[in-house]
Amino acid sequence: MRVRRTSMLVALLMLVASAATAQDLASFEKRTSTRVLDNGLTVIILERHDAPVFSYATMVNTGSAQEVPGITGLAHMFEHMAFKGSDLIGTKDWKAEEAALRKVEDAYAAYSAARGATRPDTAKVADLEKAWKDAIADADKYVEDNAFSQVVDRAGGVGMNAFTSSDVTGYFFSLPSNRFELWAYLESERFRNPVFRQFYKERDVVFEERRMRTESSPVGRLIEQFIGTAFSAHPYGFPTVGWPSDLHSFSATDAAAFAKKYYVPSNMVVAIVGDVNGAEAWPVIEKYFGRLPKSPAPPALRTVEPPQIAEKMVTLRETSQPIYVEGYHRPAANDPDSAVYDVISMLLSSGRTSRLYKSLVRDQKIAVNASGFNGFPGEKYPNLFTFLAIPSQGHTPDEVAKGIRAEVDRIKTEEVPADELASVKTRVKAGLIRQLSGNSGLALQLASYQTLYGDWRELFREVDRIDKVTSADIKRVAASTFIDTNRTIAKIENAPKGGAK
Amino acid sequence: MKKLTTLIATLCFAATALAQVRDYREIKTPSLRKFSMPQPKRIQLANGMVIFIQEDHELPLVRGNATIRGGSRDVPAAKAGLTGIYGSAWRTGGTAGKTGDELDAFLEARAARVETGADTDSSRVGMDVLKGDLDTVFPIWLDVLRNPAFRQEKIDLAKTQANTGISRRNDEPGGILGRELNRLGYGPNSPYARQAEYASIASITRDDLIDFHKRTVHPNNMIVAFIGDFDGAQMEKRLRAAFESWPRGPQIARPDAAMTVAKPGLYFVSKEDVTQANIGLVQAGIERNNPDYPALMVMNDVFSGGFSGRLMQALRSQRGLTYGVGGGISAPWDYPGLFRVTMATKSETALESVEALKGEVKRLVNDPVTEAELSLAKESILNAYVFTMDSREKALQQRVLLEFYGFPPDYFEKYPSLIEKVTAADVQRVAQKYVHPDQLAILVVGNQAKFEKPLSTLGNVTPIDITIPSGDAKETKPAAPQGSNAEGAALVRKVAAFVGDVNSVQALRRTATTTMKTPQGEMEAELNATVRYPDAQRVVIKTPMGEIVRVVSPGAAYMITPMGTQDMPSSQRDASLGEMRAEMIAVLKNIDNPKYTFTAGAVEGDARVLEINADGTNVKWYVDPATGRVLRTVSRANGPMPGEMVTELSDWKVFGNIHLPATAVMMRNGEKSGELHLSNVEVNPTIDANAFVKP
Repeated sequence: MRVRRTSMLVALLMLVASAATAQDLASFEKRTSTRVLDNGLTVIILERHDAPVFSYATMVNTGSAQEVPGITGLAHMFEHMAFKGSDLIGTKDWKAEEAALRKVEDAYAAYSAARGATRPDTAKVADLEKAWKDAIADADKYVEDNAFSQVVDRAGGVGMNAFTSSDVTGYFFSLPSNRFELWAYLESERFRNPVFRQFYKERDVVFEERRMRTESSPVGRLIEQFIGTAFSAHPYGFPTVGWPSDLHSFSATDAAAFAKKYYVPSNMVVAIVGDVNGAEAWPVIEKYFGRLPKSPAPPALRTVEPPQIAEKMVTLRETSQPIYVEGYHRPAANDPDSAVYDVISMLLSSGRTSRLYKSLVRDQKIAVNASGFNGFPGEKYPNLFTFLAIPSQGHTPDEVAKGIRAEVDRIKTEEVPADELASVKTRVKAGLIRQLSGNSGLALQLASYQTLYGDWRELFREVDRIDKVTSADIKRVAASTFIDTNRTIAKIENAPKGGAK
Repeated sequence: MKKLTTLIATLCFAATALAQVRDYREIKTPSLRKFSMPQPKRIQLANGMVIFIQEDHELPLVRGNATIRGGSRDVPAAKAGLTGIYGSAWRTGGTAGKTGDELDAFLEARAARVETGADTDSSRVGMDVLKGDLDTVFPIWLDVLRNPAFRQEKIDLAKTQANTGISRRNDEPGGILGRELNRLGYGPNSPYARQAEYASIASITRDDLIDFHKRTVHPNNMIVAFIGDFDGAQMEKRLRAAFESWPRGPQIARPDAAMTVAKPGLYFVSKEDVTQANIGLVQAGIERNNPDYPALMVMNDVFSGGFSGRLMQALRSQRGLTYGVGGGISAPWDYPGLFRVTMATKSETALESVEALKGEVKRLVNDPVTEAELSLAKESILNAYVFTMDSREKALQQRVLLEFYGFPPDYFEKYPSLIEKVTAADVQRVAQKYVHPDQLAILVVGNQAKFEKPLSTLGNVTPIDITIPSGDAKETKPAAPQGSNAEGAALVRKVAAFVGDVNSVQALRRTATTTMKTPQGEMEAELNATVRYPDAQRVVIKTPMGEIVRVVSPGAAYMITPMGTQDMPSSQRDASLGEMRAEMIAVLKNIDNPKYTFTAGAVEGDARVLEINADGTNVKWYVDPATGRVLRTVSRANGPMPGEMVTELSDWKVFGNIHLPATAVMMRNGEKSGELHLSNVEVNPTIDANAFVKP
C-alpha cells in the first residue's frame, strides 16, 4: 500500500519534471544558434545576458584513442603546445626562430637515430645530444615566454585550462564580453599555425605530470594497470598521459603531423555561452575562425576490441591501503542500450538510497565508497562499466568484491521496484536542470554533446531515453554484461614493506 | 601583363586582409557594458538572525542555506575530528521524527537534497529542491536544523569513515605535503592544523555532538540565505514564520588561537613509493583585514598568477622541472594565513628545486617588480573582477560572507580602487615586510635514496615521523614542550660541566664488549659504534654468528647481516633518529637549542629527576645534584621491542677531554636486557667517507 502511494506521487512529480525538461529545451533552442562554417567548423552560441561575461569551450574530436604505439601521450602533448603561441604570438623574431626550430628537429632526429641504433655508440650519442641541447638553447632565445597566456590574463581571462581524455581534447576559459573579438582572434590563432616552441621542455613538464598523477599515486598506478589489462587491442588501454618510453622519444615533428591530421575544422566544435549578441558575433566568428584551412576529415579508428573470453586480474601489492576495481566491457555511448547502462549506474550508486551504498557502506560497513559507472576510460568507443570501491579500515578487496557481486546478481535476476526506478528517473531530470546554470559548465556540455552525438540537443534527448528504460531492459542488459568472462579485476592489496611476493 | 597585375593586386589584398589580424594589439576593446547585479534583500530578526533573500527565475529551483558560527577550531584538541563526525551524523542520524534513512528515501524520490557539514569556523544545513517541492522539503530542512537526533548507528558509521580516512592519509604524497606544511606553519596543536587521530575519534560521543549543536545553533549565531524561483515577499513570510519565535542563545566567540610560527629549517618526510619529491616552503601569513592585503594580492599575482607568474615561468616553462608549482600569501577572513610555496618534481631534481624555490622567494623580496609585471598583475586582477559578481548566486554568497565576518557590505565594490593604487614600491615593501627568505620552514616529502644528493647537504635536516599512532589507549603522545624551568636549565648545565667540553666533540667512536639477552640465551659481542653528530651512526656488532652492521642517518638507514643488506622501515629509522637526539652527548650539545627543554622534577633517593624533551623524544635523567653525574636514564623504546628502557650508568672515566660512563646496565620493562663495558673511546676519529652510505 505504502509503496503504491509513493509511486503514484512519484509519477505525478515526474510529469512536472518532464514538462520542465521540454520547456527548458524550447527555451534553450530559442537562445541558441548553431552554424557550420565553410571550412567545416561547428560553432554554437547560447545567449545569456545576466552579466557582461562569456565562456567558451573548444572540443576537438581527438584523444589518446587516436594514438598508436610509439606516440602514446601525443594528443595530450599537443594540448600543452596549444598554449605556446603561433608564428604571431610568442616570438621575438619568427623568421629566425623558425630556422632555429628546424635545426632543433634535425638535431633531435640525428640524436634519436643514434640513440636507437642496435649498438649505440655512446660517445656519438653524447655528442648528438649536446648538439640537440645547444640547438634548443639557440631557439629559446627567440621565445617570449607564455605570451599567449599573458594576453588572456591581462584581458581578464579566468579559468584558463584544457584537458585531454581518451576521446576528446578540450580548451576553455572565460572573458569579459568586451573582449569577444580578442578571444576569437586568440582561439583561432592557436590552431591556425601552432608553433612547437619549447617542445622538449614541455615534454619534461608532461613527464612530471605523469610522475605526479600516475607513478607517485597508488590510484594512478592501479588505473593504468586496470585499463592496460582490460583492453587487449583497442587504444583505450593506453594511458592518456603516455608511456615513459614514448614521452622520452616523440618529437615536435611527430606532434605537428598529429595536429595536421586531427586538428582540422570539421573535427572541432566551439561553444560560446554568455553575454554575446549573435548578430554581432557571427561576422567576428567567420572572420577569425574562417582562417582555419579546410582539410579532409581524419580517418575513423579501425581497431575494435574483440570480445573478452576469459576473466583477467591484476594485483598490485603496495604499502598503501587497499582499493578495488572491476570492469565489464559494454558498447559505445551511441548504442541504443546506453540509457539502460545509465540507469543501472544510478540504481547502484546514486545517493544514499543506492544499492551499493546501502549494502556495502551503510549496512555491512565494509567500504567507505562504492560505485558503478559508465564511460571509462572513454565513451565514444566500446568501453567499461566500472565498479570502484574503497574498503573500510581493516576490510579487504575480496570482501568488497563479494559485496559488489551480490548486488550485481540482484540487478541481473530481480525486478527493479517501480518506485526505485521512478526515483532514479526523477533525479536524472533534475540533474539535467541543475546542469543548466553557469556559462562555463554549459559551454563544455554543449560542445561535448555536439562532438559526441553531432547535436547538442542530445543533452535533453538523453533524458527522454532514460525515461523509457524498463525493469526488463535492466535485467536483459545486466545479464548480458555482468558475466565472469567479461570481467577485469584490478586491486591494491596492502603489503608491508618488503612483504611483496 | 594584366594577369600579373591582377596577381599582385590579389596578393596585396590578401596581405591587407591578413594585416587586419596580424597583431592582437590592433583589436579594439569596447568599454564593458555597465551592469549591476541585483542584490539580495537583508532582513534582521529581533532574535538576531540575519536573513538574505535573492530571487532568481532562470531555472525552476530553490536553494537555501543556514551558515552557523562555530567549527573545528572551537572544539578541544583531544576531540579533533568531532566536527567531521558531527557534520555527517547531523543529517544521516535523522531528526526526532524521522530516521536518516527515511529522509534519504523521501528526498531522493524528489531529487531534493538536504545536507549538513562543518568547516574550520562554521557549520551549515543546506537544501536544494525543484521549486514544486519547496513546501514538502522546507519543513524537513527546518527539522534537520533544529531537531537532529544523532542516532548512534550513524555516528558509528561516520567514525568508520573517519578512521578509514586516517588509515589512508599517508597514501598520496601531495596529501602528506599539504597536511605537514600546515602543521609546520601553524604548529601541530593549532586549531588550524591539528588532525583527527584514532584516539580522538574513539573519544567522541553522542553527547559531544549534542553539546556542539546546543552550543552553536542559535538564531543570533547564524545567517540564513535563500535563492531561486520564488516570490521574495512570500519567502520572507515563510522564513519569518519559521524563525521569529526562536529565542536568542549565547553568542559563540572567535577563539583566540596563538600561532606557533614555523621554525626555520629543513624538514623531511620519507615516502618511498613515489618518483617525485613534493616540496613545500612555509611561514606566517596575514589576516584579510590587513591594510597591506591589496598590495600582497598584486605580489601574489606577480609571483604565481596563472601561467604568467614568475614561478610557472621559471620552474615550468623555462626549466621543465615541474608540472605544478604555485604559492603566495594567504589571508583568511578572521585568522592568520600562511605564506606557502609548493611544487612537485622528479626525485632526481629535488635539491635543485628546493634551491630554485628558495631563489624565487629571495628574488621576490630583493628584486623590484618591473612595470611590465606590475601592469600585467593589476590588469589581470581588475579586468577579471567582473567575474566576482557575474551571477545572482555570487552576489548572495558575497553578502553572506561579508556579514559572517563582519566586513562592510560594499567591501567588494571598493576593492578594485585599492588595487588600482598599488605601486611597484608597495609590492616591494610588502614583500620585504611579510616574506622572510631566511625564516622559511622547508619540507620535502619523497624517496631520499633517489635524490641527486642527500638532503643534509643543504643543511641540518629534521625528520618528521608520520607513522599513524595506533588508537591504543596505553600509547600516549609525548607532551608538547612546555619550555625549561630554571632548575632544569641549571641542572643540565651542571651535567655539562661534569662531562666536559662536548662542543669540541664532532664525532665519537666507542669500542665495547657487550652481553645481550636474546631469545637463544645470553650472547657476548664486540661492539664498535661511530657517531657523527648530529644524526649519523654506524654500529658494528661482532657476534659468534657473524657481523651485524646497523647504519642510521636521515639519508640512509639499513642493516647488513650475514643474510644480506636490508633497508630499515622508515618508522624504525625515525625512531632511531629520535633516540640519537636523546643520547647524552647529543643532548648536551643542544643545551641552548629551543627545541630541547629541561625540566627538573622530583627528588628520588639520591637523584634529582631531569625531564628532557629532545626535539620530540622524551628521556629522563636521574642526576646526582652534587657532582652532575647522570646515574640512570629512563626512556620509552618504540619499534620492534617497545617498552620502558632503564639504563644504569657507572664507572665514569676520562676519555680524551670528556667524562663518560664506562659501564652501562640496561633493563627493559624491569628485566635486565644487557650490559656494556667500554674498552676504548676515540674523540673525533677519522671516519671512512662511505661509513654512512648504503653499499
